[in-house]
Amino acid sequence: MKAIIETSGLVMQFPNTRALDGLDIRIPPGVTGLVGANGAGKTTLISLTLGLLKPTSGSIKVLGLDPNVHGPALRAQIGYGPERNVLPDDLRAYDFVRHLAEVKGLPRDEARTRASDSLYLVGLGEERFRSLGTMSTGQRQRVKLAQAIAADPRFIVLDEPTDGLDPVQRDEMLNIIVQVNRDFGIDVMLSSHVLEEVERVCDHVVALDQGRLVAHGAMSELAGASGGVELELVDVDEPPHSVDAVVQLLQASGTTVERSGAVLSVTGKSDDELFDAVGAAVAQAGARLRRLGQRRRTLDDIFTDQDHQMTDARSVTPNE
Amino acid sequence: MTKAAASSRGDAQISARGFQRYEGERAGVAGSIRSVMWQSMRATLGLGRPAKNKIFPVIAVAIAYVPAIVFIGLAVLIPSGIVDGPSYPEYYGFVTSAIALFAALVAPEVLVSDRRNGMLAMYLSTPLHRGTYLVAKMLAVLLTLGLVTLGPPFLVLLGYTFDGSGPDGFGNWLIVLFRIILSGAAVSAALTAISMAASSITDRRAFASIGVVLLILASPIVAGSLVDGAQLSPNWRLIDVFSMPFELVFRIFGEPGNFPEVSTLAVIAVNAAWTFGGLTVVVWRYSRLVIAR
Repeated sequence: MKAIIETSGLVMQFPNTRALDGLDIRIPPGVTGLVGANGAGKTTLISLTLGLLKPTSGSIKVLGLDPNVHGPALRAQIGYGPERNVLPDDLRAYDFVRHLAEVKGLPRDEARTRASDSLYLVGLGEERFRSLGTMSTGQRQRVKLAQAIAADPRFIVLDEPTDGLDPVQRDEMLNIIVQVNRDFGIDVMLSSHVLEEVERVCDHVVALDQGRLVAHGAMSELAGASGGVELELVDVDEPPHSVDAVVQLLQASGTTVERSGAVLSVTGKSDDELFDAVGAAVAQAGARLRRLGQRRRTLDDIFTDQDHQMTDARSVTPNE
Repeated sequence: MTKAAASSRGDAQISARGFQRYEGERAGVAGSIRSVMWQSMRATLGLGRPAKNKIFPVIAVAIAYVPAIVFIGLAVLIPSGIVDGPSYPEYYGFVTSAIALFAALVAPEVLVSDRRNGMLAMYLSTPLHRGTYLVAKMLAVLLTLGLVTLGPPFLVLLGYTFDGSGPDGFGNWLIVLFRIILSGAAVSAALTAISMAASSITDRRAFASIGVVLLILASPIVAGSLVDGAQLSPNWRLIDVFSMPFELVFRIFGEPGNFPEVSTLAVIAVNAAWTFGGLTVVVWRYSRLVIAR
C-alpha cells in the first residue's frame, strides 16, 4: 500500500529545542491520528508535511513528493485545517471557503459551487452567508474543515479539529471527518491530545513524546483487547480488606494481578479461565463487583509504558 | 397552461449534486497569485465587507478624484485661457494626501493582518510559497495605490481630450498616456516598497502606518532643513522619500520640477534605490520568518 507520509531519520532542530528526533514513520491511507502532549512535536511534523519548515536532517515524503522540492505541486493536493483561529471576522464563511479554494487552483465558478457544497457537507449550508465573527466555536471549526476539503485534496491535515468543542459537537465533527475519508476517499491526518477520540475514529496512530516516536502503527494492533481481565471492586468496610482478599485468592489460583486501588488487571491464563477465577475469588472473599470485562490496552497505556521506561532508564543510568 | 409549458415543467429537475470529487483543470500558481491579489485588494477597499470598512477607501478615492472632476468641469465651463488647469505632474500636488493615506494604510492592511491572524500560514499551505505570496501582495498594494496615482491623471487626460484642450494629435496623446502610466507606476512602486518594508518590520498595523506617515512627513522636513537651513549640498534633497517620486514625475514629463538643482539621473537613481531597497527589506524579513502552521 502506498504511503501518504514516509519519513526517515527526520530531525528538526530549533535553536533551543529538538522538536523531532530521528523520526521513522510510514503512514498508510486512511484516517491517522497524531497524538502527544503539548511540545511532543505534532505541529512541527505538520509544518514539515506542508513544507513550511525544512528539516535539519533526514527526509520526508508526502504523497511521494518532497515538500521542500515539490512544495507548490504537493500543497495543491493537500488541505489544511489549522488549530489557530485564523478566520477573518468580517468575512462571510462562503467567501472565505471560496477564496481558499481558488487559491488552491480551482476555477472561479467551480470554487463557488464547491464552497457551498463543502459548507453543506459540514452542516453549515444554511449559515454559509453569515460573517465568521458571528459564528460559534463549533461552527468556526466546521468552516476550517470545509475550507480544507473544498478544493478536493487527496489528503487533509487537521490540527486539533475538536479543540474547544463540547462532547456533542466533538462527536459530530469526528463523524464528518470519518465521512470525508470513507465516502470520498480523502485521507486524513488529525492531531489531537484527546486520546479517546483518536482511538475512536483513527485507523492508524503516530504517538509522539518530546520529539520521539512512542508508538506507530495500526490502531487495531496498538490498542483494543489485549488479553486478560479487568475488574473494579467496591472498597467497602464490611467485609474488611475484601479487595486484598480477592488479590490473594487470584494470585493463589496462579494468575498475575496488577492492582491500582480497587481496579485489578488479571492475566496469566486464558480469558475463560480468568473470568471463572475472578468469579470464584470475588464470591469467596464476599467482595462487591462494580465492573468486569476484558482488559483493553488504550493509547493512554502506551504513554504510561513509555513514562515507565523513561523512569527506569533514568534510574539505571547513574549507576552505569 | 399550454401543453408545451406543462411538458417543460414535467422535464424539470432539482439538481442538488452535493459534495463530490473534482477532476477538472486547476489554475496553478498563477491562479493562486491572482486570487490572493484580488482578495487583498477587496479587503483593503472594503468590498464584500460591512459599510464601516468602506469609509476610508471612499474618502481617499474621493480626495484623489474630486480635484480631477473639478478641473475637468472648469475646463468645460470656462473658456480656454482664462483659468488654466494644472499640468499632469502638477496634478499630483492636489492628491498627495490621498496617496499618503493609501501608502500608510494599504500595505499594513495587506501584509500585517496575515501575519497576526495566521492567514500567512494558511496561504503557505497552498501552492504559494513565500516568494509568490509576496508577489501577490506586492501586486495588490501596487494596483490599489494605482487607483489614486494612475486613475485621476488619466481621468484628467480624458476630460481635457473630450473638452478639446488635451494633447494635439493622437501621437502626442499616446505619449502623454505613456507618461501618465510611467509616472503612476513609478510613484506606486516607490511607495509600495517603502510601506511594505515598514509593514514587514512590525506585527502591528498601527505602528507600520505611523512609521510610513512619519517617514512621509519627516523626510521632507529633514531634507529641507539640511539644504535650506544648513546650506548643505542640494543632493541632500534625495533623502526626501515622499517628494522624490513626485519629482520623478516632473522629470518624466520633461519639466524641471520643484528641485531643479537636483539632476534627473540622481532622482531616477534614488527612486530606484528606495524601491529596490524597500523590497529587499521585505524579502529579507520574510525569508527569516519562522512559520509553523
